[in-house]
Amino acid sequence: MDIEDKIKELQRRNREAELGGGEERIAQQHAKGKMTARERIDYLLDKGSFQEIDKFVVHQCHDFGMEKKKIPGDGVVTGYGTINGRLTFVFSQDFTVFGGSLSGPFGQKVCKIMDLAMKNGAPIIGLNDSGGARIQEGVVSLGSYGEIFKRNVWASGVVPQISVIMGPCAGGAVYSPALTDFIIMVKKTSNMFITGPQVIKAVTHEEVTPEELGGAITHNTKSGVAHFSEDNDKAALDRVKQILSYLPQNYRESPPVVECTDDPNRKDPALNKVVPTNPKLPYDMKDIIRSVLDHHEFLEIHERYATNMIVGFGRLNGHVVGVVANQPRFLAGCLDIDASIKCARFVRMCDCFNIPLVTFVDVPGFLPGVNQEHGGIIKHGAKIIYAYCEATVPKITVITRKAYGGAYDVMSSKHHGGDINYAYPTAEIAVMGPEGAVNIVFRKEIAASDNPEETRKRLVEEYRNNFASPFKAAELGYIDEIIFPEDTRPKLISALMMLLNKRERIPERRHGNIPL
Amino acid sequence: MSEITAPMGGKVIDIKVNPGDTVNEGDEVMIIEAMKMELPVVSSESGTVKEIKCKKGDAIEADAVLVVLE
Repeated sequence: MDIEDKIKELQRRNREAELGGGEERIAQQHAKGKMTARERIDYLLDKGSFQEIDKFVVHQCHDFGMEKKKIPGDGVVTGYGTINGRLTFVFSQDFTVFGGSLSGPFGQKVCKIMDLAMKNGAPIIGLNDSGGARIQEGVVSLGSYGEIFKRNVWASGVVPQISVIMGPCAGGAVYSPALTDFIIMVKKTSNMFITGPQVIKAVTHEEVTPEELGGAITHNTKSGVAHFSEDNDKAALDRVKQILSYLPQNYRESPPVVECTDDPNRKDPALNKVVPTNPKLPYDMKDIIRSVLDHHEFLEIHERYATNMIVGFGRLNGHVVGVVANQPRFLAGCLDIDASIKCARFVRMCDCFNIPLVTFVDVPGFLPGVNQEHGGIIKHGAKIIYAYCEATVPKITVITRKAYGGAYDVMSSKHHGGDINYAYPTAEIAVMGPEGAVNIVFRKEIAASDNPEETRKRLVEEYRNNFASPFKAAELGYIDEIIFPEDTRPKLISALMMLLNKRERIPERRHGNIPL
Repeated sequence: MSEITAPMGGKVIDIKVNPGDTVNEGDEVMIIEAMKMELPVVSSESGTVKEIKCKKGDAIEADAVLVVLE
């Protein structure tokens, strides 16, 4: 064989590998509205930047006639490239090859690029489209999953990990995405569950469709497993790029700073009127968030899950911040189990990746109820405390209205290491609401008075004027400054710029024991 | 046919629709008081009000059916 033949052989083999499961299966993939594994990578990465690794890997299985069926690449395309010029590692499961099922070598390919990503400090993007374990491989397949899970855990907090679910993801396979920082699901074509509808029917006799059980909407609204749902493959991949624009390459770096073309001193007089004077009326906290961020751009995460809590990314003066906020429009902005988990996980993710936190507070308290107590609101609420106290990134807080009871402490208070704590003049910071407090403190006086209802009303009004304000907290230094709402953006930016070089250490230990 | 349910437990303090009324997605159909807040109950679908399952002053539980649409 001369050199030309050898080159032709390589070309032939490359073409063969690039065809994956073949024209027919590619057509089936397209018919479902899905891109192929390679099309997805091409769309995700900067044009021409993809460098493939392990293109010719095949499985070594000799059982069940598998030795006659080998396809180069073995069901996953792996490698690295750039997204907006930044190094990124990617694996893309190929449903056209053995249904994207995971073999031993398939797992080794994924592990290889995960190891490279950790050593070189760059994000790992997993594009999931797989029928699960390759049954013919038996326990080898399980071993491979385990190796991947371990790397997901070891990479957690070292480099950003984003999972996109673009097809089935069932059984043990769900745990790799579950361990990553973000899960994006494509509507209609993707689902995630531990046991599928058929098993559920056999065991519990419940009938449920795959979409209801574990589709994009279910996981974005009910379970909170997924952070984003997108209409199609391209939208999901665009989302990956957008998320990465807010994240550093690894934990040693800070997120990318962009030149700010939005006036840092921009005031918004409309903010003076956002918070209604009647404390019973709700308003949209997102009006405040969007107003203060650069160009009003806010990337909300978990938009449809636990909507009484808002979390997401934005920029202030070009610097990335993680925004956490209570949403008085839903559940009165109460803290419940789901909101606690959503908040705590986001705060910890921001702390992993050096993203300063800006917290907007309007919280009447924890949601009362038997379900909440029996569901463990104590341990879940504790997660918020744990996450904020442990976070050493800059922490800036703005109390817009209510900050009552334990919920005041929890939401990035001074006592939990808030670096700069602002309050609006409309803030009500107190141990509890006026009605409740008066009933306890003045119980005897109210009962003994000639007109208990009148007395109660008067005392509530007095309490509201004297205690349900930001001034008591400001007298104690719990609030650093009471600000005019219209100045929120300039104030936040000045605090953030002051805190950019913040360094703080919490006591050394093996690792903490967050209440899970 | 669809149902509008209570977003959280509380007390019905205002009902803004009557049987036969047409509601659009996003319309406020009711105000409930909970955690000392007045929270609007918003319809997630469009339709005609068939039945109102509560009255002013009622204490309601989370997820209770408040309005039936058709």
